[in-house]
Amino acid sequence: MSDIVLKVSDYQGRVKPDWCPGCGNFAQLTAIKSALASLGIEPKDVVIFSGIGCSSNLPEFIKTYGFHGIHGRALPVATATKWMNPELTVIAYGGDGDGYFEGTQHFYHTAKRNPNITYMVSDNQIFGLTTGQASPTSELGFVTKTTPDGNIEPPVNPLTFALTAGATFVARGFSGDPKHLAEITREAIKHDGFSFIDVLSPCVTFNKLNTYDYFKKRVYRYESDNLEDFYAAYRAVQEWGDRIPTGIFYRVKRNKYEDVDPILSSKNLVHSEPAHITEKDLEEFL
Amino acid sequence: MGGNDVIVRVAGAAGDGVQSAGQIIAKTFSRMGLHCSTYNYYQDIIRGGESWYQIRASGNPVRSQGDGLDILIALNRDGVERHTNPDINEGGAAPLSANGVAIYDEKISISRSQNCGCAPVPLSELAQKYSRNPLVRNTVAIGAAIASLQIPFDTLAGVIRENFSSKGEVAEQNVNAARAGYDYFLKNYKPIDVSLKTSERKKYLIQGGEAVGFGMVAGGLKFYVAYPMTPASSALHFLASHSRKYGVAIKVPEDEISAINMAIGANYAGARAATGSSGGGFSLMVEAVGMAGEMEIPLVVYESQRAGPSTGLPTKTEQGDLNLVFGAGQGDFLKIILAPRNVKECFTLSREAMNLAEYYQTPVFIVNDLYLAEKYETVDDFELGSFSIDHGKRAQDGEEDYKRYLDTPDGISPRAIPGQPGLMHNEDSDEHNEYGDVVSDAVTNPDDRVKMVNKRMRKFKTYIENMPPTPTYRLSDAEYAVILWGSTAGVVEEAIDILREKGHRVGAIEINRVFPLNPDIGDLIKGRKKLIFVENNYSGQFERLFRSEFLVETFSVRKYDGEPFYPGALANSIEEIMKG
Repeated sequence: MSDIVLKVSDYQGRVKPDWCPGCGNFAQLTAIKSALASLGIEPKDVVIFSGIGCSSNLPEFIKTYGFHGIHGRALPVATATKWMNPELTVIAYGGDGDGYFEGTQHFYHTAKRNPNITYMVSDNQIFGLTTGQASPTSELGFVTKTTPDGNIEPPVNPLTFALTAGATFVARGFSGDPKHLAEITREAIKHDGFSFIDVLSPCVTFNKLNTYDYFKKRVYRYESDNLEDFYAAYRAVQEWGDRIPTGIFYRVKRNKYEDVDPILSSKNLVHSEPAHITEKDLEEFL
Repeated sequence: MGGNDVIVRVAGAAGDGVQSAGQIIAKTFSRMGLHCSTYNYYQDIIRGGESWYQIRASGNPVRSQGDGLDILIALNRDGVERHTNPDINEGGAAPLSANGVAIYDEKISISRSQNCGCAPVPLSELAQKYSRNPLVRNTVAIGAAIASLQIPFDTLAGVIRENFSSKGEVAEQNVNAARAGYDYFLKNYKPIDVSLKTSERKKYLIQGGEAVGFGMVAGGLKFYVAYPMTPASSALHFLASHSRKYGVAIKVPEDEISAINMAIGANYAGARAATGSSGGGFSLMVEAVGMAGEMEIPLVVYESQRAGPSTGLPTKTEQGDLNLVFGAGQGDFLKIILAPRNVKECFTLSREAMNLAEYYQTPVFIVNDLYLAEKYETVDDFELGSFSIDHGKRAQDGEEDYKRYLDTPDGISPRAIPGQPGLMHNEDSDEHNEYGDVVSDAVTNPDDRVKMVNKRMRKFKTYIENMPPTPTYRLSDAEYAVILWGSTAGVVEEAIDILREKGHRVGAIEINRVFPLNPDIGDLIKGRKKLIFVENNYSGQFERLFRSEFLVETFSVRKYDGEPFYPGALANSIEEIMKG
């Protein structure tokens, strides 16, 4: 972070987003840009990692360093980059299929490790890029191409999952409330540890159930004067129905993996010299 | 056998201390300035079962575990009976030779074999004088074995003191126990007939898997991330125990998928990183291999083979994962496959792999196998002076109109790493143009696609032009060429020496750069009567790959019982093909 004054337009990518008009991902892209600008983080110091899905195309649409990898694997790649070079601001980004199906194990263990990265999930409760199949957050009874008789598997709750795994910052945003989303994103990037934001992100093409209107009727801003209360957070994130809370539910300070690891805590591995082996190092084999 | 070459075998059950005893003996040999190498025959069990550990030592380089057995240390009855039985069935290992000696506890009553010299020693009784730990009987036996070779006791005592240096009085207890065994043997039995040519030259004794890890460190490794799996774990253990010394970060993550993706993330950031596993774990990594190929990110993968399919024989050797490694990753891209021939090459090729991956910005594989990964071998010289780190092409800060995937004559584009000013770009697992922008979504651009494939594949030509000559053995006048890859080099050389003794004109082509293959092989095979492929697998995985490159008739010797080749039997198999 520096004193340089940055504008949202300083993060304008080379490529225009190819998402459907009205897609919830636009609000997230804007939220990330405005959070970075308001925090004064230069484009060269940011890396955005993603997996595969409509949302995962985002690194192309923003002028930072971008890594558009494979389905479900953004978190381990992002974690390692951050560990090697802690000067970078690292954001992992993807969809609900990417993060809550394919990458579940990484989500769990990354939260537990608490690396200083931000993970934002565009949660549209459907597979978009593969043209409309039930996803891990699809509601019970939801009719899709793969669930013609209605979804019979209950949805996962990514927020209880994140809390259980040990995430130190847990939040939910809504693409229909971009100002609030940008505020949450800013706090998440500022957080010193693993910050997680699930974003309610309507898929205007394939999800005709969880629409902007659906959420606008239900969503409210959650407020708490004690964000360190795990059980209060755990109760709050389970509310889902007529009312759906958004905002920051949980924020605590805990050792990051890289604070404790003897090597990672001692140096920037990208900018330090590697070991130089000499004849003396061979003596242990004599 | 006899003369300047000796084979010692320690046999017992898992938990008996077979391996520790064997390593003390190996160290004693290397301290004498002898060449030596070890072979570990064990099972997938922590206690019980049947295991043995063999050490072969000589004044000349030791290239395989060898034929024959001169000294047997048997820690239980099964060990005596199994290894003195002429019909021993251990994958090619020989029984105790007629003029060999078997050392075992005199409490074990066996009918005296006519095939060998039995040397019962009161192992437990002597051990009890110095320690209550029953495993000290092993030290008594080691003392007896060293006496049978007329090696000065002080050399052994030094190794024992070092081995137990952190355990206080235990060290001297063991030295005294070894002395008791040493004296008992000399008082009651005759030494065996060998004259090992010792040397003043220092010998380093190091395990294959350790040498892989050590080589990576010498090659600039900063992060090693792997999920444990035999027989790849010896590299992981070495690196974990040397993490602080060399400043290398180590991580065991949730699975192999995470491991390879973390290795890619670290390399992307600009820190040299590697991952490793055996076939089962590597199977989980395959998708990410393709990603590194498409995104042109340096990546080193250590693949240490064991017998498959699936869990297969977890503690047994095979060269059965070549198809898997060769086929890993969708589409076409340069993938470099290296296969060390010996422990020294585990070091030098792993070190080189770190450079190759960054220079060519592509995945590089070090394909090893259990036989070599678990083998301790003496190394004279690590050739530390012959290497320097080469980061390849890097973009300059603030470069105008930076193209991450610039189309270049050699196929290699200058890399930018995150944090460099003015070079922000996207690296993409989707096909992309020179800037890194995706060309597969809104509009597919066939021209850009073809340009990028051609650019990446041009690295093949660049790599091949820079390859060192293919190593050979006694090939110049050979009518018959034996072709091998990786760890079978030593045993093939011994088989060739046996065949040369018998007057056959035969030599070897030793492939340590398995893919892409060096075109110089075309000249090496010209005019040979037969090309004979030696492989530790059923289907001749390398032979098939070779034939797809060189379109030649081939003959094969294959072994897939989980055990390595033995020189005598291998020479016979090669001879049959030559005569056939």
